[in-house]
Amino acid sequence: MKSRSAQLSLTILCFLLGLLLVAQFRTQQMSGNSLLAASSDDQLVIISSLVENNARLRGEMEALEKQLNEYQQATGRARLEALVEELNKVRIINGLVEVSGFGVEVSLDGPIGVLDVQDLINELRNAGAEALTINGERLTLYSVIASTEDGVMTINGTQLSRPYILQAIGDAETMETALLRGGGLIATLTRNYEGLIVGVIKRERMVLPVYKGDIKFVYASLIE
Amino acid sequence: MKFKFDGVGRYIPILVIALVFGVLLGLQWKSPPARPATVPGIGHESGVLAIKRLEAEQEGLKESIGQLRGQLDKYRRELAASTEMLKEINAELERQKMIAGLLAVEGPGVQVTLDDSSIRSVSAAADASDYLIHEYDLRDVVNLLWMAGSEAIAVNNERIVATTSIYCVGSTIMVNDTRLSPPYLIQAIGNPIVQEDVLRNPAYLKEIKQRAELYSVQFKVDRQGMLTLPAYKGGFPIHYAQLGD
Repeated sequence: MKSRSAQLSLTILCFLLGLLLVAQFRTQQMSGNSLLAASSDDQLVIISSLVENNARLRGEMEALEKQLNEYQQATGRARLEALVEELNKVRIINGLVEVSGFGVEVSLDGPIGVLDVQDLINELRNAGAEALTINGERLTLYSVIASTEDGVMTINGTQLSRPYILQAIGDAETMETALLRGGGLIATLTRNYEGLIVGVIKRERMVLPVYKGDIKFVYASLIE
Repeated sequence: MKFKFDGVGRYIPILVIALVFGVLLGLQWKSPPARPATVPGIGHESGVLAIKRLEAEQEGLKESIGQLRGQLDKYRRELAASTEMLKEINAELERQKMIAGLLAVEGPGVQVTLDDSSIRSVSAAADASDYLIHEYDLRDVVNLLWMAGSEAIAVNNERIVATTSIYCVGSTIMVNDTRLSPPYLIQAIGNPIVQEDVLRNPAYLKEIKQRAELYSVQFKVDRQGMLTLPAYKGGFPIHYAQLGD
């Protein structure tokens, strides 16, 4: 052997080789997405969201039963009013009527990707947003944040410029908490994008405009 | 061959010992579990039972809501036949409900299948999450389908509506507060040619396509001549938004 250092490095090499061998052969089992694989904490979250959702569904059921009763008992004018009320509610959901109310305003200034803005919208919806705009453009179910070839963000085909201002009508407290919680979406975004400034302000009253586009069905038809 | 304890051979035992030592140390060194450990025992089992029970209730409630809405629609149509004005308002209500996803629809389109990798056992050095479908994967596909001009979308028969959020609890994906299990079938009514074009465009869904190639996560696109998508069965709670300014 030429030198002691050569022996030493060969020994270390063999040692590392042993480590690597183990890393290679050690396997982990994939538990998949089954219920039993969920941790107890996750189970609790699933249970509480189901309890909440079922309460909401029961509320919806009662409202429908009441409506049905009203229809059956009411006379001309009352029936008309009930119909118009139902119509207006669906219009609000569809973004096809101007609305006002309390909520939050989120401002994003700096670099941010299209998918992350989409995630932010998802987070606001998850926290109960009832109506949303970005830079004054009303979001509908069919609206998608996209980007042009030069990387300009667009919504409903309209180009957006920075800063991006999202307005959401809904329970401001819940929406703010959801956005600002530790490890939440905004914490993740500000960590991932250097120079991104995010502001969340509760607003007393905002007016969100109607969606200006047209929603048409060419391929989908009602089942009779 | 005679084994000689001189020259290079002298070092072989040391090298073998080093190798064995490395293996032993490697075995000792434990990688963290891929997901939070489950707490075994009664608590866990009863948790599963509670979820199943609540889901059965949820299913029943949705069923009743669907029936009630059907009854209301029928009633409204009957009423509407009586006067011109009611007829007009009811026709507009029907149109708005279709836009909102409150009515079942049919038409051509595509079906995207997403599923966790079929590989059940991976090396410790690998990231187990590469082999799973995540809630953001579903979100990205749904957004892309809207971008491709889709007119109605459902994921595992849960209709996507304006208030839908797709989120996860641990590794469980929830849509409209309903728990989904893989495989995830995303059905979208629209122009199948445009939809397929956008879905296959290498500029989109890069991450999913890469994981499909490297980790055998399933990503499949099939054109469909006729799809039937159910109506949304949940409520639209409106508590804060008021009409007009």
